[in-house]
Amino acid sequence: MTRLAELTVNSRPIIHNLSIIAQEYSRYAEVVAQCIESHVRRVQPWMKLPAFYLLDAISKNIFDPYARQFTPLVVRLFLDTYEVVDQNTRSKMEEMLLTWRTGAPNGRELFGVVPQLAIERRIWGSDSTQNGASSSSRQPGGQPSVSQAQVLSELEFVLGQKERALQANPYDKASQQHVSVLHQLRGLVQAGVSQQELSAILTQLRTLAPAPAPAPRIPPPPPVQHSYPPPQHYPQPTLAPAPPVSTSQVSYPPQPTYPVSYDEPKVEPVDYSTSTSPSTAASKNISNLFSALLKAGVVSASGTPTGAGTTVKEQTPPSTDTSKDVSRDYRRAILSTKIQLNSADITRQRPPIVRFLYDMLSSQCKQCGIRFSDSSLGKKRMEDHLDMHFRQNRKTTQGAGRGHSRGWFIGAEDWIHDGSVDLKGKGRADGLVNAKAIAAAEAAKADAELRAMYVVVPPGDEAQSMSCPICKEPLKAEFLEDDEEWKRQRRSQLSQHGCAVRFPVVVVHGPLRDKSSYPLRSLLLSSMARLGDRSPQRLRKLLVLSGRLRMTNLMLSRKGRHLRKSWRYNLIPFLVHEWIGGSHWVFTDEHSRHRLLRIADKAYRFFHQSSFMHL
Amino acid sequence: MSGADNSQDRAHPREWVLNAETEYRFELDIGTSFAIKLIRGQAEIFGAELVEGKTYLFYEECKAAVYTWIGCTIEVIGQPSTEYVSEETPMAAYANVHLALEAMRVKTLLHAQIAASPDTASPEDLQEDAENGPSDSPRVLILGPENSGKTTLTKILLNYATRAGQDWCPILVNVDPNEGGPMLPGTLSATPIPSPIQTSTPAHTLGASATSAPTHMASNALLPFGYWYGHAETKRNPLLMDRLIRNLGENVWDRWDADIIGRSSGLIVDTPGSFAASSGAHSDHRQSLIKACIDAFRINVILIVGHEKLNVEMQRAYGNKLSVIKIPKSGGVVELDALYRARVQKYQMHSYMYGERVTPPPGMPPISSTQSTIRYLVGGEQSTDMTLAPSSAVVNFSDLAIWRIGEETMAPTSALPIGATRVVSEMQPLPVDPAQAGSGLYNAVLALIAPPNPDDTERYDEEILDLNVLGFIVVTALDIPNKRMTILSPSQGSLSGRTAIVGSFEWQE
Repeated sequence: MTRLAELTVNSRPIIHNLSIIAQEYSRYAEVVAQCIESHVRRVQPWMKLPAFYLLDAISKNIFDPYARQFTPLVVRLFLDTYEVVDQNTRSKMEEMLLTWRTGAPNGRELFGVVPQLAIERRIWGSDSTQNGASSSSRQPGGQPSVSQAQVLSELEFVLGQKERALQANPYDKASQQHVSVLHQLRGLVQAGVSQQELSAILTQLRTLAPAPAPAPRIPPPPPVQHSYPPPQHYPQPTLAPAPPVSTSQVSYPPQPTYPVSYDEPKVEPVDYSTSTSPSTAASKNISNLFSALLKAGVVSASGTPTGAGTTVKEQTPPSTDTSKDVSRDYRRAILSTKIQLNSADITRQRPPIVRFLYDMLSSQCKQCGIRFSDSSLGKKRMEDHLDMHFRQNRKTTQGAGRGHSRGWFIGAEDWIHDGSVDLKGKGRADGLVNAKAIAAAEAAKADAELRAMYVVVPPGDEAQSMSCPICKEPLKAEFLEDDEEWKRQRRSQLSQHGCAVRFPVVVVHGPLRDKSSYPLRSLLLSSMARLGDRSPQRLRKLLVLSGRLRMTNLMLSRKGRHLRKSWRYNLIPFLVHEWIGGSHWVFTDEHSRHRLLRIADKAYRFFHQSSFMHL
Repeated sequence: MSGADNSQDRAHPREWVLNAETEYRFELDIGTSFAIKLIRGQAEIFGAELVEGKTYLFYEECKAAVYTWIGCTIEVIGQPSTEYVSEETPMAAYANVHLALEAMRVKTLLHAQIAASPDTASPEDLQEDAENGPSDSPRVLILGPENSGKTTLTKILLNYATRAGQDWCPILVNVDPNEGGPMLPGTLSATPIPSPIQTSTPAHTLGASATSAPTHMASNALLPFGYWYGHAETKRNPLLMDRLIRNLGENVWDRWDADIIGRSSGLIVDTPGSFAASSGAHSDHRQSLIKACIDAFRINVILIVGHEKLNVEMQRAYGNKLSVIKIPKSGGVVELDALYRARVQKYQMHSYMYGERVTPPPGMPPISSTQSTIRYLVGGEQSTDMTLAPSSAVVNFSDLAIWRIGEETMAPTSALPIGATRVVSEMQPLPVDPAQAGSGLYNAVLALIAPPNPDDTERYDEEILDLNVLGFIVVTALDIPNKRMTILSPSQGSLSGRTAIVGSFEWQE
């Protein structure tokens, strides 16, 4: 429990870490509980609250056996602490206390009814706190029994919930409205309202504050139609008392509120004389309550409570450093080290590595040692990371005894697209899209040009019948009067059969991914796909042919979409689907042009000499 | 926590106080295990940070070092065969390399992000990008002789990159068929590394591939992608290796097509020592394989670990096109003999099939004991059950198509009679008939490969060479009269209709 000493500030990661540790040591729950108690009693008042949050987290998340262990000591501990801490902390403790009402996995009091009532009585006075049902059943206009402090603290609690809901869903109009209403109400209550109103407000608040789960024996709150979604977006704990592991929630429940220190309104002296409005207990929801109060003139429509001079300060949003800013800071820091990749720089300097690997990443996961930065993004990542641990721990416990086995490795397609899954949407937007679009356009253009072309039949060959070198189908020639030449129209050949694959060879140097070869690539792909669709056998024959040339091992991927795999000599000789005027196309970068031309020539000659070749 | 003290008394823990920038090195004997606990300070093992207060276990002849940048105190339990503290380490140089690579990464990422969405880029980003000048992600080839610490350097650089907190996911490329990376020896593989690789056993120095057991460290559930070369030595079939390296490169680039962060993270290629062997008859193979790596992965940084001559050679060949840098070798590298390598290969195979079974050093409570108050970390995992259950099944000979690439005993081309050419080329897949005597299948490790193209018309002769590995199986028994064989495979599932390639690796339990 040395780690407890670290718990001096209200840090969610530390608390989470500690609660994971506590789960590991749940066999020693008694010891752990004692440790925490003595820690709370020992430390300075300002350090007590985080320790209480820890107690709260452990009891709620792990529940069994910790809640049981804490039950006997929690009343004294809470009250003793309550007495020594300042007002701010008190109100936070009250908030926490409220969550205890329904903190148990089955929706009941976290530490049982008796301790809960004991604490509440001591804090809010004699008989003010029964559970929600009894107070709501109290007649309006009954004995003034609701203290302003209690209402305020409950109000704070509900407000906190709403604000969190609003953060989670900033466009939720209903929540927005509720937050503003609650803010006004708070000011109102601080200004002082009648006892009747207090109890009415309290009733409404309790219906607003969503119980984690309808507990079987607590009478349900009045059937109030909420026009907004419940502010809790996390899975509810299961009702049935279950083993600790399955009841502990996956995500850290937002209920133990670890507020980011927003302004707590000062509790002002109660002034009962300002009671002005009639009973509003009948109002069906808080909006009605508010409008009723509005009508009564207690609050003005402009949103500022008339009675009070308190300025309700909006909670400042958490610092908005996005991943972009974080990476910018990191980039600047890295670039400022100015270490060049050369032997001198690398051996001479002392690296500022500790700064990058340790100092800049100040919070460390106590389970696996991975570090995160202290920025809000880093905190979020750490939370996600701890959640992962939590899930894995649970899986481990659940899967204990069941055999595991090594999985098969994934296939090529899956592996290739595995990395881009989470980038979907913005993925592919890395400039490739544009390039591809351009390439496609160019390819389409080139294709159209090709189709419009005719092959000029060499003089003297007009009468000679010609057939496709592959499928032996005769090709018809026609005389085009415009050009006064015999031509064979390619378009029709192409559409008739896929054998329009002609020679010679297009040679592409290097992987088909260079910018310069984009148009070519897509041309090849499209022609490849076309060929693949129409005449696979013939295509294959061609490939075998080319294979005999020892130049290529062409592979089509499964769907014929991609053209990949490596090529001996790092060349991609490719059989183009057009024969153009006896010349061949060579796509390459300049420096290897010569060599490629030679190879292309060789291929060209090979095909010409072969018995297939009639042209 | 509180109860831990009693058991530690029995275990005779010893404390070592390490000054800043020193490392504690240890080597384990066969069959022993060893525990290290960080008491205070900060420490890391090959770049993966240790958590204070956790007990880390090491076993199976693990040889490792705990390094600290700022100083630390560690507690060790168990008897390593060698242990000492060294003050001379090349870590400062390695860290400088890391920072230089990081500079390349951040620049590339910025550039790629701006290219991806030019509209949303802020003017200051644009300006910064312009000032940075041309940038490219680091694609590093590590060369060096045997036992020079190449794999360790690879690991440190990868781990530092994953620890930067920038979501880097560099790709570890292993082209050392003797080692196998996160797969098994005989494979060439590429593996994205999302989190620091832990050290606990030589059975998976470069992380382990995914199992059905839940893991805490993403580097214990890696998704490797690889091809089966099938032999430990590069000289056995350099042409095949050349082709597989190029295949690997194609796939890596395909993967990066849509993955900006991955592309910016770059890759690190760990090579076999034979790439650096400057003498001998295989020099030309070596050159062509280095060339293949440089082409396939578009290497832009070559790191040469402690080899002057190679450095000069590479400077001459590539110095004008890419950065060639000599890196000091760590004094802590251990000379490993062939026997050790053979044992490690056995561990690797065993760990692939059966997972891990670790016994803590004498005097410490057993791992699975419920009384145990010490939670051990093995390879970063606190899972108590890391054993795996492979499946053994009897299949008909005809169920499994088995191939061998090239002939089993291949004479070098130079040994052929003048004018003679090979009847069977090095790249030709030959079907293996298990029924024939001398098929060499008994106890052989086979690589189960991805199914060939279902469309018969799109198949080609050497397709098998271009299919990636799905897993490894072992023929544990052959029943020739009944045409059946017993096959041990990592998990259940029918093997009928599958294709496998046999290499020169064997394994017996």
